[in-house]
Amino acid sequence: MGLFETLQRKAVKLGLLPKLLAALPLLSALTAVVSVVMILIIPMNGQYRNTYISENALMPSQAYSYFRETEWNILRGYRTEIEVLNSRGVSASDRYDIVAGWLNEFGAKTAVYRNEEMGDTLYGVLHAPRGDGTEAMVLCAPWNNSEGEFNIGGSALAIALSRYFSRWPVWSKNIIVVFSDNPSVALRSWVEAYHTSLDLTGGSIEAAVILDYPSNNDYFNYTEIHFEGLNGELPNLDLVNVAVHITQHEGMKVSLHGLPRSELEKNNYWSRLKLLFLGMKDSTLAGMKKAHGNEVFSGWRIQAVTLKARGEGQIDITTFGRIPEAMFRSINNLLEKFHQSFFFYFLLSPNNFVSISSYLPSAVLLSITFAIAAVDATVNNAYASALHITYTLLAALASVISLLVSFLVAHWFLYSTTSPLYLILGSVVLAVSPLVMSRSNNALREPVCYRMRTLGYIYYSLILTSLLMLNFPLAFSIGLFGYPMTLVKPLNIYSKSQMSLKLRNSVLLVISNPFVATWLICTVVENSEFPNLDVFAALFSAWKDLNCWTWFVLCLGWLPTWLLVTFSSFTSIPAAETTIEKKSN
Amino acid sequence: MALSCFLRSVSGTNIDVNEYDLVNSAMQDDADDVIVTGSCKTNFTAQSTTEAVASPSATRNVEENTVADAHTVEDVQFQDFVEETMLVLDELKYPYQEDLRLKPLPGNHLLSSFSFDMKSESFTPGKTDLDIDQYSHYTVFPKPFKPLLERTATRQLHLRFTRGFWDAESWDTLPYDGFKSGGSGVELWAIIESDSQENAYRQWKSLANSLSGLFCASINFIDSTKTTYPVYAFHPAASEELPLFDQDKQLYLIRAALANEPVCTENLTPLIKLLPTKGKSGLSSYLDGHKVFDSIWHSLSIDIETQCDDLYGECRYSMEAMVDMVINVPNTIERVENPIPKPVEADKLRCDQTKHFDAFVCFPSSDNAETDFLFSKIFGKSIRGCDNFASSPSRVCANITDDWSFTLKVGDDYLGLDSNCFELNEGVEYDINLSSANTSSVTVLDEVPLYVSRSLTGYGQDHGGLRTVFHNPRSQPVRAIYFETLPWFMRVYLSTLQVDNTHSNGSPNVTVEDIMQSMHYVPAIDRSRPTHLEYIIEIPAFTSFAVSYQYDKTLLQFAEYPPDANHGFEIESAVITVVSPTDYQIRTATLLLSLSTPDFSMPYNVIIITSTVMGLIFGMIFNLLVKRVVTVEEADKVLAERTIKAKLLRLKQKILSRIGIAT
Repeated sequence: MGLFETLQRKAVKLGLLPKLLAALPLLSALTAVVSVVMILIIPMNGQYRNTYISENALMPSQAYSYFRETEWNILRGYRTEIEVLNSRGVSASDRYDIVAGWLNEFGAKTAVYRNEEMGDTLYGVLHAPRGDGTEAMVLCAPWNNSEGEFNIGGSALAIALSRYFSRWPVWSKNIIVVFSDNPSVALRSWVEAYHTSLDLTGGSIEAAVILDYPSNNDYFNYTEIHFEGLNGELPNLDLVNVAVHITQHEGMKVSLHGLPRSELEKNNYWSRLKLLFLGMKDSTLAGMKKAHGNEVFSGWRIQAVTLKARGEGQIDITTFGRIPEAMFRSINNLLEKFHQSFFFYFLLSPNNFVSISSYLPSAVLLSITFAIAAVDATVNNAYASALHITYTLLAALASVISLLVSFLVAHWFLYSTTSPLYLILGSVVLAVSPLVMSRSNNALREPVCYRMRTLGYIYYSLILTSLLMLNFPLAFSIGLFGYPMTLVKPLNIYSKSQMSLKLRNSVLLVISNPFVATWLICTVVENSEFPNLDVFAALFSAWKDLNCWTWFVLCLGWLPTWLLVTFSSFTSIPAAETTIEKKSN
Repeated sequence: MALSCFLRSVSGTNIDVNEYDLVNSAMQDDADDVIVTGSCKTNFTAQSTTEAVASPSATRNVEENTVADAHTVEDVQFQDFVEETMLVLDELKYPYQEDLRLKPLPGNHLLSSFSFDMKSESFTPGKTDLDIDQYSHYTVFPKPFKPLLERTATRQLHLRFTRGFWDAESWDTLPYDGFKSGGSGVELWAIIESDSQENAYRQWKSLANSLSGLFCASINFIDSTKTTYPVYAFHPAASEELPLFDQDKQLYLIRAALANEPVCTENLTPLIKLLPTKGKSGLSSYLDGHKVFDSIWHSLSIDIETQCDDLYGECRYSMEAMVDMVINVPNTIERVENPIPKPVEADKLRCDQTKHFDAFVCFPSSDNAETDFLFSKIFGKSIRGCDNFASSPSRVCANITDDWSFTLKVGDDYLGLDSNCFELNEGVEYDINLSSANTSSVTVLDEVPLYVSRSLTGYGQDHGGLRTVFHNPRSQPVRAIYFETLPWFMRVYLSTLQVDNTHSNGSPNVTVEDIMQSMHYVPAIDRSRPTHLEYIIEIPAFTSFAVSYQYDKTLLQFAEYPPDANHGFEIESAVITVVSPTDYQIRTATLLLSLSTPDFSMPYNVIIITSTVMGLIFGMIFNLLVKRVVTVEEADKVLAERTIKAKLLRLKQKILSRIGIAT
């Protein structure tokens, strides 16, 4: 007689299973709440850890950095010349030829990658004197930064640093210095070309550091580090830690996710919670927001961070240059690829992080929420026991159709010029149509509605489960904002208080519509970045230019379920009635 | 005595101390023995190169003593004797020659090519040293090689240790047209005489293992997964005759390469020890591991050939050892002065005067065009004496333009010659001086006939592509043999082979049929044979295009991953041998293939989960087999009978009944 048997007998005796089944809607809501609470717990003391360098070979800041003293004069020299180039209005292609000449001067092999559509990119390869030439580190300075400002400090730094690097004999990996027209599409097309068609290559890229110093001032205040990649990818935590460690070692404040200077000193629950949410937001919207440069390296096992100088203060530009210097010294030490430490994490402050094991359960719970809702839609109605195979098949057909429709919608709006306004309008019209539908038009049978809901929730739960491992922030966001779909109640022609129920359903459906929700949320959290309906244009270009899947997750993951739930909210006719009708006929 | 002492000095190794003792003991002898001392003195000048440290001071000692004791000996008599011994010594020259060729390259680089040629004594093929009536001297030919070549029936042996980046765009052709340098890492090929390919492979493996020990390199990692039998490439020129000792056997050309094998001082030291001078005198005294490997590009090579004279039925081995290196002169000199390349001091900043500059702003001017340095500064040593036992004197030549001056420093004197070629004849310290007012003026070399670069393309851990770009900068079509070996875990799809026309410089379109003429392809066999691809390709004038094909990545077995830190799997360089219009050989850079690497704690997890599942299944099946399935009611009934309480009750009743019977 085992323990399990005893428990099972107790459960049977107390009639727990029927009670449990009856409480499924409550349980579903409860898991959603617990999931959010679990996220809120993470920034509490004891829930997160201090960052540490996991790969011993990195040894950040262990070697003295010499990018100082007269290197500053040289840096100013290059900057003055770049200013001259800029003021003379030299065309993009000519200016790259001139800069290429400067790079050739100290032995870099240069080439310009021309891409008329996306923008040109100049790159130079410094061959490692003692390396085998199979690996490379990238130092990148977009000519104009993500805000469209002229990245004069960054460009001058990249040239001066490359010249300085060329004098060091320590390099075991090639150094590739890259100047592109902009940090998003131009740089992305170069990275893609590097892995497909470029003739001058320097081996597989291990890491990339993007410099953003959009001012000709010698002094700045603090350093922003950007690291989030596309599709939920993040650089290895070791690289971020190295960047943070070196920046702090050189006496600078580190700002993550664009936190303003006034908030950098804080480290309390609310500051950590803010950074956690900012991290989730930035990661979800990576590719849609203006790229800093690190995003575009996603996908080829390249670890990339962007260093951005901000503000006006006491710290000089060579100090900023010593960050990439020391980072390159660290990366140069690596014998293996970045593999220690974490690839999935959130930083709660520059020196605190949580790993995937702490936050993943909340996304799992959200997907369970939908699984429970699916069970609820299956068992808690009059058609639970009966084997309505026709209805199930009909529902399955409806699922396939909604998936097809979603697919068509995804591609139609991606490749046609139809305004996304129609997307929103169509969604709203569809969501409120049950309100205005006359009763006589209803042809839906109630069991089909229930089966459609079951399939819809199951599908959503599956989508969330498979997405949460790859892109936790996106999975969590769409899980949370799609949650109102589970609250939509089906109604048949005999339901009481039809109107209020219908109104409630329509409101829930409107706010849980993938497009309306995306638009609303982006307008609230990133109004400056996405005014009006720009968020959709950003989604389209993120897919076309950067291979960011978010648009397809919305369309193929979220929309089919929403369509199924919307159709199931139409007033339906109970199955019994139809059979009676048939008999009478 | 002179003869014997000389012979010992050539063939032996630790002659220095003995020789010195000999001299000293001779000096303490009486006057008659001064002649003997004198004879040793002449020997000394002749062989001073073999023993570098002791000789100058020892010679001086001898001279002083000779002067001190000269009153007993007539000068004429002494002079005669010296001439006599010199005559004897003249005949005792050995087939050894060493050269150092210097060539400034653009960008303040300098190519130094050391070459050491030596020949063995002749021997009769088919008779080994183990025969009772057979003996041979080794003289200048390194002792380890002859037994090795005989044991493995190797007729030709080529070994390359190369590392670094040869900047073909600015430095033009490789030294010796690329035929003396390998791909990054170690490369070995040999012509082996054997009766079958299996036996040839066995001999080859034995050769590789022996060389591994000889050169302290991991050449023993050469196995069948790395070995190929080239069909078009690597074949010796038609003019070279290849001796076949046993007419029933055949010659096999076998080749293997270890990509990115680190080349280090531990490989250079054995190479220097193979030279008769052993780095103690002559040009080899420049070869210091720290300096050779502190270069941008370096290549060590050894080629051994068997040359036979049909007339006498005798053969001899000839060996060429080469050390080539490219250094950046200003950087190297700067590093000697200051090992850390710190920022230069403000007053030493060289700013471009044509651009804006002041106390804070400095646009760096181009590299210093003036140079003046002694080689002892670069190599850390000077040349210690010459090799008088060698059949031809050590030579130092420079390939320079008129803007350069090349002088030989002997003592405090600087000697210059129009030919820019010096022969070192005396047992003194030499040093070389190179100076120029315009370092950018270098001798014009042949343009590289073909540029080839190769890279991996693709995305992800599953499959990828290999892309080789050919670029012919000349007005003549180039015909070349492309040779490539890929490890078995790259599954190549030759069907995907295609030519991409790069339109960057308006080159005409070509198709596969246009350019590829003959192809030899041996597909890989998992864990036993690499992919071996060779094709003859003709690249039209002023054309560039890319040949690409796709491959799949294989999953390796658990134990096949390297045990220590690794950053991927090295793919050896492709070898392109240009056959027309000129002969030239180039190698592409090596590649790094990253295979999906499992988390190595995974086997543990798998074991745990499998064991759990197995345990659960076993438990269930065991229960089903040995237990009876009953309803809950029946179970309750049985349970009621089997509890301890029920048993106690029954026991009590039994006892009671017993008692009841008793009472």
